[in-house]
Amino acid sequence: MSSNHRGRTRIRGAAMWLLLLELRTPLITLIITYSISVLGLVLIPGMTSEGSAYHLSFLDAFYVVSYTATTIGFGETPHPFTSEQKLWMLVVMYSTVISWLYAIGSVLSVISDPAFRRLRAHQRAVSRIASQKLPFWIVCGFGGAGSQLIRFLDQSNIRCVMIDSNQARADVAKLSDLTYELNILVGDVAEPQTLVDAGVQSALCRGVLVLTDQDQVNLTVATNTRILAPRVPVYARSGTDANTRNLRSFDTEVVIDPFRVAARSVTQLIRKPCAFALYHELVDPDLNHIDVVEMPAEGHWVICADGRLADTVVEAFQRDEIPFCLVSNQAPKDKESVTWVQGLGTEARTLRAADIAHAAGILAGTNDDGDNLSILLTAQAENTQLITIARRNKPTSEPVFGHGHFTYVLREGRMIAQEMYARITTPVLHQFLGQLELMPEALVQGIIQKLHARLGDQRPELSHFDLVLDSHNAPGVLPFFHTARTPKLEDLLIDPGFGYPTMPLICLLLVRLNGDLVPFPGDGLLLAEGDRLLFWGAMGSHHRLQFLAQREDLFEAILAERHRVHSR
Amino acid sequence: MNTQRVWFAFFIVLALTLNFGFFVGEIDNPHHHNPYEFFFALVVSLIATVLKVGDRSHLGAVLLATSLVADFQLIAAAVIWGYASQVTGEVSVAVMASVVSFAGGAMLANLTSVILLIAETIQLKR
Repeated sequence: MSSNHRGRTRIRGAAMWLLLLELRTPLITLIITYSISVLGLVLIPGMTSEGSAYHLSFLDAFYVVSYTATTIGFGETPHPFTSEQKLWMLVVMYSTVISWLYAIGSVLSVISDPAFRRLRAHQRAVSRIASQKLPFWIVCGFGGAGSQLIRFLDQSNIRCVMIDSNQARADVAKLSDLTYELNILVGDVAEPQTLVDAGVQSALCRGVLVLTDQDQVNLTVATNTRILAPRVPVYARSGTDANTRNLRSFDTEVVIDPFRVAARSVTQLIRKPCAFALYHELVDPDLNHIDVVEMPAEGHWVICADGRLADTVVEAFQRDEIPFCLVSNQAPKDKESVTWVQGLGTEARTLRAADIAHAAGILAGTNDDGDNLSILLTAQAENTQLITIARRNKPTSEPVFGHGHFTYVLREGRMIAQEMYARITTPVLHQFLGQLELMPEALVQGIIQKLHARLGDQRPELSHFDLVLDSHNAPGVLPFFHTARTPKLEDLLIDPGFGYPTMPLICLLLVRLNGDLVPFPGDGLLLAEGDRLLFWGAMGSHHRLQFLAQREDLFEAILAERHRVHSR
Repeated sequence: MNTQRVWFAFFIVLALTLNFGFFVGEIDNPHHHNPYEFFFALVVSLIATVLKVGDRSHLGAVLLATSLVADFQLIAAAVIWGYASQVTGEVSVAVMASVVSFAGGAMLANLTSVILLIAETIQLKR
């Protein structure tokens, strides 16, 4: 078994051998024709200009044959050739030139052979991955989710190795604009050897992200990784509940079902628009503003969807008790409790049957982009006040959906990328998102207002970051713990500049060393060593905070100022 | 019987025999060392090298290495000989001695090749 495996790796490392093996016959032909030609020239007597006989030396003969074979043809040396020599030279010319061209042609045909080039590219990628010095994640599948996720991770300086079975997609990946050179491996992800080549067993491998749209492939990759590298976490996409259960049965760290994510996003948008806005600002590095959608207080929703999305959305709406009417070609599973209109939703007639005029919003979630756009345009013509949610299936349709002025667009790849990004960048963010689901909407709204108050009139781009109060990240803060002036959260948010203004930041979550979570901690909360804080606010302000945390003198000045103000 | 094995063994053994034929004789006496024999020794050695390419076993790698050593020794000898006869114009006793000693080195390499070949063959028969 192991010798078999070694044999395969050896073959993979043998593009050069393959070339030499192919060149065996041309090389031997070349040596033989050269040697016969040289020998003939040495043996056949020549005539000097004085008329005496002589023999060419081996050096002269080799020289003549060399320039004849390569078709350079310098002429007859050292003396003009006799008729016998000319006869032999005719043989030399045709035989050596042909064997020379044959050899060169063989080299070129091997080099330009697509299989040989693939082998070479594969070898180069494997050796680059092996010589990598920085930690990396393996991304399987460069579809909508894969390409988006690699870009998101690049913004957080996290590197990836990409595997895709499709050469065309790999070529697209090569063109992606990243800060580092993406290592691309073209191969079948379901094959264990591909994972090994991608470096799954390397100590630097942080995890495997399986994003292909075939559940069976994702499952195979997850099991292969479990066995090849048990310590490497697997984050997998799953399209069905059965597959999700299967993946979870062997402790796959994260399983993301895009349909469930979509259903959750839609109900969150309807029931908790503030939490929805905060959530998406945090998980999407491309979204740097917070826009809260105003939801109409009443009215039902029209859901135009079929297949799995219809099932998951109906389930989520029922759970959150949102009134809705399903427009679908297939009858819903639970016919009794669901209002159902048969049809596609692209015609005004079916939408009117679903009472579109009195609806709050519409979800166009069929698996055809043209149908979805048609549904939304028809619906907007019937009711101009509608909240519109569109499902984009193909990444190529993005321009239309981007310009369509829809309230929210469900993009499968982007949703998966967001979910995985939130879990990869900082663990605190994911802990916070878990808390956010449980928080009442009013509290989230209060937090957004508090940040806006701190930002004043400005509307800068927003971002989040975390800070750990330990000797490495906050040496300036540590000395004040266990003293009378134990720092409070508000002390950390003071700008050390003139007038000591408050930084445009909000602390979203504080995690104590023992694992206790404090969501939205109050400004007066006492800090402790080892606290991990998640901040959110104006982009760039983290530089000031990190600087402050490093400088004991600045922090001392802030504490002194604070105490002066308090004691007055 | 495998024709490829026949040619393989043929060229390896021929490289050694030609090499030996050139090497025997007084080391500094040009009359004892035939230039044509030297020429054939070099050509056969080159062909043997190409035949050894492509065998990725450990033994194949060592065989290729010995052949490359023989080629290197013979080409060095050829360069010295050619330089002396064509550029300097005179093949001195010292030059002849160094040509023959280079060829002697090549012969050792070729001998190693043949020994490895025999060892492999015996192992095969068991």
